[in-house]
Amino acid sequence: MGDSLITIVAIVLAAILMFVFPLMTMSDRSDDISQLTVETATTEFVDNVRTTGKLSLADYSAYEQRISATGNSYDIELEAQILDENPGKKTTQANSTKIGENVYYSMYTSQILDTISSDTTSTLAFKEGDIFSASAKNKSTTLSQQFKNFFYSVTGNDIYTIAAEHAGYVTANGSGN
Amino acid sequence: MKIQYLAVVFIIIMLPISLVYSEYVKAQVETLQLQISYDTKLDNATSDAIKAFQLNTINSSTSDLSNSKIRDIEAAANSFFTSVATLFNMSGYNSDVLKEYVPALVFTLYDGFYIYSPFENTLDEETINGIKPGSTYTGAPGEEVTGLKPYIYYSCRYIKGSTDVVITYSLDNYITIQGTSNGHTISDAGYLLDNVSYNETTGSVRYRGIEITTETQLSEYISGTKYNYVKINGVKYYLDSDGSWFTILNGRKNSGQGPFRDEDNDMAYRYYKEAYEFKQRLQSYGITNLTSADAVNQNGEHLSALTDEDGNVIYDFVNGNYKIFNFDGIEEPDSDFNQHRLSVIRYVIESNLSVALANYNNYGTGSYEFRMPKLAEEDWDRILNNVSLISFLQGLSIGGKIYNGYSVINNNKNEEVVTEDSIYIVPDINNDNDSYHRVTDKDLTVNSNSRGVFNIDFERKSIATDSSETTYYYYPHRQLGCYNCYVAQTNVVTVSNIYQYLDSHSDIAKVYYTALGRERYSMYKSFRNPEEHLNQFK
Repeated sequence: MGDSLITIVAIVLAAILMFVFPLMTMSDRSDDISQLTVETATTEFVDNVRTTGKLSLADYSAYEQRISATGNSYDIELEAQILDENPGKKTTQANSTKIGENVYYSMYTSQILDTISSDTTSTLAFKEGDIFSASAKNKSTTLSQQFKNFFYSVTGNDIYTIAAEHAGYVTANGSGN
Repeated sequence: MKIQYLAVVFIIIMLPISLVYSEYVKAQVETLQLQISYDTKLDNATSDAIKAFQLNTINSSTSDLSNSKIRDIEAAANSFFTSVATLFNMSGYNSDVLKEYVPALVFTLYDGFYIYSPFENTLDEETINGIKPGSTYTGAPGEEVTGLKPYIYYSCRYIKGSTDVVITYSLDNYITIQGTSNGHTISDAGYLLDNVSYNETTGSVRYRGIEITTETQLSEYISGTKYNYVKINGVKYYLDSDGSWFTILNGRKNSGQGPFRDEDNDMAYRYYKEAYEFKQRLQSYGITNLTSADAVNQNGEHLSALTDEDGNVIYDFVNGNYKIFNFDGIEEPDSDFNQHRLSVIRYVIESNLSVALANYNNYGTGSYEFRMPKLAEEDWDRILNNVSLISFLQGLSIGGKIYNGYSVINNNKNEEVVTEDSIYIVPDINNDNDSYHRVTDKDLTVNSNSRGVFNIDFERKSIATDSSETTYYYYPHRQLGCYNCYVAQTNVVTVSNIYQYLDSHSDIAKVYYTALGRERYSMYKSFRNPEEHLNQFK
């Protein structure tokens, strides 16, 4: 009786060690690879917008496809901080020994997507000095997360293991004339 | 063997494999992250250098003259290295060490480019004393110096029958031709335009069906006062209230200029009329039948075809056989002339740059062999259409591999070139509370008070008064940027060919073409005789 109990325990342990352990390690590595892909894609996407000064639906879809190819779905957040030099100009015009401050106002994901999705040729053009940023977080649970949740439950709203963000100054005028 | 043992054996095999694999992936991730961070740092350093160049040139009325330009470019190169040092300090490098990894900086300008890279000082004692008697120059012959190499023009030589000419291209449709054709010597320069008609009896000039007339005198603010001015060969001459003329030099008033004729501005009229005359002259030289197949290099051989990153042919000089002076829409982006012009510029940059980078191996101390990276097509597109800085960073170890990156940053605010993009429209130029718009603004309407303004005239400038050292800042034009088409470009038409867009907007076209012609004609041109040119306006 005692022997068979130990055998059963041993079989369960062996199964965990022989199957679950390698599977967990592999799925962890797979997350690492996804992280790498998402990070590279995000950086390239943002740097492309920064250096061309243009964002088109085609660029955005290509980015979305590239990160979705990792097998997960992602929450993509875009933010464009638009440089407004007009308040600074007004300050200098009121007092010519002062350099006024520039201000930024922001456009977020939905506004940006609305602008670029209006028709297939429309692009959102930026000017020199604007700031563009993008971030991506996985919203589906990855295999590695599922395993972890199986053994020790992680709870909370914002649970993601793959996340990447990149931001920077726009260095080109993208008005497209 | 019991199942427990089997499991242990399995773990003994799996654990090291898993650990090694995990370490390998980690190293790859770090390499890539490092590469991305180096790319970003290089981009930032390059844009710092461009910013320095902009600051220096916008506030200088002499920035288009070559010695002043060299100074500005050297300052930009210094700020590049300072910025690189600051950005990389975290990784334990300093500026001198990093200089070893920057084989070249390329400053592309209006009609040529400078390469900033190390070279061997070939001056000997005798030459130094010959140039500057009693010079305190201490550079030893054969010493390695980092600096600007001689300016290289975007030139190409063409040989066809009795024609042997060199054409120098620029970032717009301005060309300089020198050489011989049918036994005659040619030395000429001008803008290439199609669709210009000139009526010799009435003297009227039309461009794309729009009559180009003179415009009322230009005026702009200096500090709090508005002055009428005329811009000749890159210098603005202002008319003071007492009838005298002055310029601004080194941020101060420089009186005693002119006097110039105090009348309507006819720069745009001259631009189109001279383009018309230039076309007639080109036809009389008998060189309008030149094709891309006549282009030769310094050894008299045909130019090899240009290829992209994947080896696909983009422009074949010989088999393409494009007619360079095909005047049909010559100024439009996709004309034979423009395709050829861009290909020549690219050929010249590519061939000189690859030599400069290969030569860098003679100076570098490391074992890394420097070579030119293949630039992406969209990067070439940006290089060929605007003044820009290309920087290279190679040979840094980033874990698994050696970093080999480059960065291209455009300079959109410069006095070098007036691109189609550089003109903004002010609907009412006399109203300081008005705003300026892009040409492609969907809601733009113009009237007889509308005027096109060069983009750098909306940039902040500074002047110091004679009596005190206080610096006053001012904007030559006080209008503010339109929120829908300039600050955020949400209400603009996306166009690929501005000329075709304007064909259906003739009222805007008149304002725009007048401004484009005026600003291009007012630019500094090295081919002109400055004195003779100035005298035309006195």
